[in-house]
Amino acid sequence: MKQKRLWAGLSTLILITGLLLSACQPTTVTVTVEVTKQVPVEVETIIEVTSTPVNYGNLVWLSTQLRPVQEAEKVRGVILADFPGTVEFIPEDEGPFHDRIAAEVQTGQGTVDVLGALHGNFSTMAPAGQLQDLTALRESLADRGIPDAFWNVAQLNTEQTYYVPWMQATYIIAANKAALEYLPSGADPNALTYEQYAQWAKNVFDATGEAKFGFPAGEQGLLHRFFQGFLVPSFSGGVVTTFAGADAAAGWQWLVDMWPYVHPQSTTYNFMQEPLLSEEVWVAWDHTARLKDAFEARPDDFVALPVPAGPKGRAFMPVIAGLAIPVTSNNVAGAEALIRYMTEPNTQINTLREVGFFPVVAVDYPGFVSPGVKLEGEAVTLQAASPDALPALLPQGLGGKGGDFNKVFRDTFTLIVLNGEDIQTVLAGQKPILQAIMDETGAPCWSPDPDSGGQACQVQ
Amino acid sequence: MKSSNTFLRYVSRGLVYLLAILMALWVLLPIYLIGVAAFSEQLAVYKYPRPFFPSPFSTETMVFFLKSTGVAASVRSSVVVALITLSLSTLIGAPAGYAIARFVFRGRETFRLLVVSTRAFPIVILSIPLAVSFIEWGMYDSVYSLALMHTALALPFTILITSSVFASVPRDLEEAAMTLGCSQLQAFVRVSLPLALPGLAAATLFTFVLSWNEVFAAVILTVRNRTLPALVLTVLDVSPLPYRFAGGFFMLAPSLIFMLFIRKYLFNLWGKVTK
Repeated sequence: MKQKRLWAGLSTLILITGLLLSACQPTTVTVTVEVTKQVPVEVETIIEVTSTPVNYGNLVWLSTQLRPVQEAEKVRGVILADFPGTVEFIPEDEGPFHDRIAAEVQTGQGTVDVLGALHGNFSTMAPAGQLQDLTALRESLADRGIPDAFWNVAQLNTEQTYYVPWMQATYIIAANKAALEYLPSGADPNALTYEQYAQWAKNVFDATGEAKFGFPAGEQGLLHRFFQGFLVPSFSGGVVTTFAGADAAAGWQWLVDMWPYVHPQSTTYNFMQEPLLSEEVWVAWDHTARLKDAFEARPDDFVALPVPAGPKGRAFMPVIAGLAIPVTSNNVAGAEALIRYMTEPNTQINTLREVGFFPVVAVDYPGFVSPGVKLEGEAVTLQAASPDALPALLPQGLGGKGGDFNKVFRDTFTLIVLNGEDIQTVLAGQKPILQAIMDETGAPCWSPDPDSGGQACQVQ
Repeated sequence: MKSSNTFLRYVSRGLVYLLAILMALWVLLPIYLIGVAAFSEQLAVYKYPRPFFPSPFSTETMVFFLKSTGVAASVRSSVVVALITLSLSTLIGAPAGYAIARFVFRGRETFRLLVVSTRAFPIVILSIPLAVSFIEWGMYDSVYSLALMHTALALPFTILITSSVFASVPRDLEEAAMTLGCSQLQAFVRVSLPLALPGLAAATLFTFVLSWNEVFAAVILTVRNRTLPALVLTVLDVSPLPYRFAGGFFMLAPSLIFMLFIRKYLFNLWGKVTK
């Protein structure tokens, strides 16, 4: 009896598994349809560009960028549609990304042909001999108009070029239109100062009784970038050299004064688009890609604003993603063709339109981008073009110590703002930790800190 | 006196039920809310307080998730890997479990401890050597080699569970069968195996769920042939909320269905183990 029931149970299970499998069948069919759809598009493009059809064959493209499921689908379905070759776009976490390439290089047998990642990822891979020198490819891309500043960064302090700048992003302010009426009198929302920003938060709190300003201080949030690229450089004009000075302390004091008007849930926020859409928060600072959904879903309700300016300028951090080729690539010609394709102005505009990362090449912003992307794009342009703009680059040369570097800033924040400890004492306590990281990695200063002539950057 | 006793009993029973209901809600409520969010319109996910019914009902996010590249193929890979893992670990693990349960041999306790200690080893530090070995053996990026890895991960559980299952089948019955003319093998097949079957079924289904949920080895050993957790978990943590709910629900549902089926056998199994 018992056995009979068991077998009945098992056979139902098998039936369900079968149903699950067969349920997937129609999806397979759709995929095939998509492939056949792509074919005429390819042929058209090839005929326009060259007279002999070229096919770059199969490519595997591993990327730590554009991982969100809807962005990855845009890459596969739209952005890569015109590329003459078959590209498998595989999003991957940073940990397995590095481990996999390390293993493939160690055995000399690769499955991956192209890499998409941030500058910080490549800066640890090139010294390990995992990346090909792309100097020749760089020369063939001279007409793209990629800024020299980006190329210099891509050399990773060597004579070679290890990756091609691919797309950029930065951080801006997103504000619900309901908050605009509480702006301090006389404040220009497109040219706020930190003082006005804090006053604005206080005005909203006084009028509504709620703290409606937010920061992504959750575990996966990018708040440390706010300290490294915005707050500290805006107040002190540097990041590492000025870390423990009185000017930086003034910046932290600003945050302490502001914090009562910041939503208490901020320490759980990772992506500010979510509390913005739920209206738990009205005004927030975050990465453009992590605000995009709010602008896309309700473009009429939100405005995008440049970040505030401090005494030393309007510091902001541009994020540069690049494309590289691992030494074990099986299809170098195809990989180079893909990189050339991804940096074509048309593809760059498509990338902006579909996934909200901004072009690295000189392009004319067309009118057909979606209202949400347009909002963000205008704020990014305003921010970069503001007269007091102070670009503060992502930390460089730290290799595997990037996480420790971030931790110094997160810890400083926790001790000063959340635990209410004395600012000077905390800064003095973190200073040797920061200096030890700089000494250990020998990382020279990066913008906006003054050039340290190749020596490890020194905390003053 | 007597009536106050009955009253007390009712109260204590009521409290037990209350506690049980609270514990059930503790687990079920979030699952329910995930389900509601998975079948709501995208913007409804951001509403607060959370709506208790999907209104308006929408399969848009779910369909997008299911149709996105690789999901269908990865479901198939997951099922294939799980089925191979289930078969291999039962074929290897059950005899080992039987040996531990039935035979007294030198080093039995050490063997048992060794089996468990493989689980105490942090597999994460193995990531690069593991990938290097699999590449060198030409077994990289294949569902079949992943199944081998999962078998290795599942074996300690299978061995320990099956040994308790066989230990709960009285040895006397087997001996009785042998006195009636059965060989040792026949006694096993005709007497012990049928009695142990529910427990074995629970153990194999447990292996299935274990393989279905495994992420680490699946991520590092495959590139193009990914299982569902490897595909989903690398992208969901950075995807917007609606997709996280859809993906989360899709991952949850099969495990829940399996649990429904094996619930009875699991109780059976744990009951015997604790005896």
